[in-house]
Amino acid sequence: MLDLMDITAGYDRARPVVRGVSLSVAPGEAVGLLGPSGCGKSTLAKVAALLHRPDRGSVVVDGRAAPGWRHRAPRELRTAFGVVFQQPRLAADPRLRLADLIAEPLRAAGRRGEAAERLAELVPRVGLGPELLGRRPHEVSDGQLQRACLARALVLRPRWLICDEMTAMLDASTTAALVAVVEEYRAESGAGLLAVGHDRVLLERWCDRTVRWEALAQHASSRPRAAVR
Amino acid sequence: MADLTWHPARSHGGRDHRSLRVGASAVIMAAVLLAVLLVPPLVPMDAQAVDLAAKLQAPSLAHPFGTDEVGRDLLLRCVYGLRVSLLVGVVAALTATVIGTAVGALAGALGGWADRAVMRVVDLFSSVPHLLLGIFIVAMFRPGVWPVIISVGLTHWLSTARIVRAEVLSLRGRPFVDAAVSGGASRWRVAVRHLLPGVLPRAGLAAVLMVPHAIWHESALSFLGLGLPAHEASLGIMVNSARSSLLAGDWWPTLFPGLFIIVPTLAVAGLAGAWRERLDPRRRSELML
Amino acid sequence: MSTAEAPPVLSVQGLSVRFRMRGGRHVAAVTDASFALAPGECLALVGESGCGKSVLASALLGLLPGNARTAGSARLAGTAPDGAPLPSVELLTATEGELARSVRGRRAGLVPQSPAAHLTPVRTVRAQLEETVRELTDVPRHELRSAAEGAAERAAFPADHLDRYPHQLSGGLAQRAATALALVGEAPLLIADEPTTGLDRDLVDRTVDELRRHADDGRALLMITHDLAAAERIADRVAVMYAGRIVELADAADFFGTPGPQHPYARGLLNALPERAFTPIPGQPPELGALPEGCAFAVRCPHATAACDVVPEPVDGVACHHVPVGALATGEAADA
Repeated sequence: MLDLMDITAGYDRARPVVRGVSLSVAPGEAVGLLGPSGCGKSTLAKVAALLHRPDRGSVVVDGRAAPGWRHRAPRELRTAFGVVFQQPRLAADPRLRLADLIAEPLRAAGRRGEAAERLAELVPRVGLGPELLGRRPHEVSDGQLQRACLARALVLRPRWLICDEMTAMLDASTTAALVAVVEEYRAESGAGLLAVGHDRVLLERWCDRTVRWEALAQHASSRPRAAVR
Repeated sequence: MADLTWHPARSHGGRDHRSLRVGASAVIMAAVLLAVLLVPPLVPMDAQAVDLAAKLQAPSLAHPFGTDEVGRDLLLRCVYGLRVSLLVGVVAALTATVIGTAVGALAGALGGWADRAVMRVVDLFSSVPHLLLGIFIVAMFRPGVWPVIISVGLTHWLSTARIVRAEVLSLRGRPFVDAAVSGGASRWRVAVRHLLPGVLPRAGLAAVLMVPHAIWHESALSFLGLGLPAHEASLGIMVNSARSSLLAGDWWPTLFPGLFIIVPTLAVAGLAGAWRERLDPRRRSELML
Repeated sequence: MSTAEAPPVLSVQGLSVRFRMRGGRHVAAVTDASFALAPGECLALVGESGCGKSVLASALLGLLPGNARTAGSARLAGTAPDGAPLPSVELLTATEGELARSVRGRRAGLVPQSPAAHLTPVRTVRAQLEETVRELTDVPRHELRSAAEGAAERAAFPADHLDRYPHQLSGGLAQRAATALALVGEAPLLIADEPTTGLDRDLVDRTVDELRRHADDGRALLMITHDLAAAERIADRVAVMYAGRIVELADAADFFGTPGPQHPYARGLLNALPERAFTPIPGQPPELGALPEGCAFAVRCPHATAACDVVPEPVDGVACHHVPVGALATGEAADA
């Protein structure tokens, strides 16, 4: 189970963008979080992936409360999450070749030896040609780069996937292809998914259930103010 | 396809102007480096050789830049002076850049109170005029090349620290750092593998831009009599000791050393400018898709 | 559309763009693109990222980088706001001075991809509008203010936000501010380059509806997008680009409704939509630097035959050897 409990988060303590939101994802479940841009859903996704410390609230992963966020979270807890961001250009280190980009989490874990084998498996799976692996991010298209970013998110075989507007910049065919890759991985691994987006049609087609941001936020604002503070 | 007539797309102007500047800068720098590296070992003349019979001669074939008030050949002394200036400039700029990058990267990577503390120290240093600080440092040592280098290095890392800190802060907020953290990278790995390589081009550019600054600083210290020993051929000392002859209407002992300070520093700045344009991401890739 | 009779504002014939790369390589970003655009008409140019559609827009506005070469022709005609016909300009060979003086902003307005980056961050929307009005029109100085307000109103930009700076605007308002700037010169041609990227669906719909309104006012609108839903909402005609070529040019109603797209690539693209089959086209588009000899889609195409070794000529707007001889019937069955 992935439980986000009573999360209040933001970048300025006086004005949180997420207020008292709770959300659960069961193992193997795909939950879509639907909301307009700028509503705070990306911040919630970062909190869920242990990348942004909330002002209040806790994240419980498989029954274990996260002791901290970013580097304060133990490595094996952080790597239980595979994260794909909206803009592949910003989410890729511009100096790394695609092969290094995908294998980077393995290297960080000291498992460099597995890189060749994992690359050989993942690269065709996400639909990248081997000739692209030697290129740097500015030498490939947005779609190709996002495929590499998805491969990077899958390389450590995460139990949870967080996709933050993964396909917002992509054309229809690449969108369908990437969603198919995610679903194939989930089918064989039983990983849970939190897909954040603004495209209702896409999320409803992709996910087991779709939660509207307004519903989560309404739940929060209906509480007494003292409870939120 | 063979029957198509291809037209070049319009250029956006300014390109020729720019390449002219870069070309001129490169030629000057090449000439300067050749002169500085080859003249001392290959030309059997002594830059310190005094010839009072030939003092204050106007430029001639024998002495293209003329001679100074004790009859030393100015061209030779200018080359020797430039050699000292370049040495001081490059080593001092490197020192300042290493200090500045380390401090700035530390402040940016740690963030929070450590960042604030470090940046207050930087502000404190910046509030003292750095020439004054430099004079203070030089005064603690016997005159020589190294005190000048230390003085310039210790007073010029502040701007680099600011640039590097700002760059680290901006990189730290990028999703690719989030992705690295999520992929299990340690703090050290994030800093060394993802942040530092992104900062180094900027720091390198700052170092190159600092070389002219350091040269001017050395000249200023020497001009004030605080830099190198008075008999050394330093451009600053040469300008200083020629001031009196300028009043007598002898222009060459000040003009040529002055040009030797200005022209190479402009050339370095010209090359650094071209490098900066290359760093600009909008110019990085020629192909746009 | 009764505008089919009117002479086209923009007619593009055999436009090709290629880039000369290091080592003497060439990248064929656009190959042999032809289309015409009448006043009041909206053409949506769709395709995946990297297919060359943005390069085409840049070529029309003379914004290509120095290593680009163009061939073919792109003639800009149209009429002035007072109805007088404007002299025709060949966009591909016009000088930079000519383009800057009389084309960009005056005869062809650009609605940019990221309005936040397009607007000057340190000046208010009003200041930027007034400056543009002063540059592009003969409005006397004392009427600048009202002219700027008029331009904002035409783009549905709220007057009480005029004194704000770009970073104080939401994405939708920034888009309207950029559109207002593009409209100032009363240009008969508007080029919108991915105007909806990164916006959410409601905002996409609003932005697209506003652009449509400008087309209905008699402008020709070329919209470049990868968003098929946005294209369906706005376009009179659709041009599908693949690997630098326009593979299908069709009426939007036919394309999105029945009989649907004719080219196998266009069909696959539409079928990838989550509201349709949600199945991707297998494989990857070819590199523009290493295009195959024949049809560039053949390696991904279920209908490919030996005939595909030759580049198909467009017939009735579709560049495929298997159309319209019923060769796609098998594909039709598979889709159903």
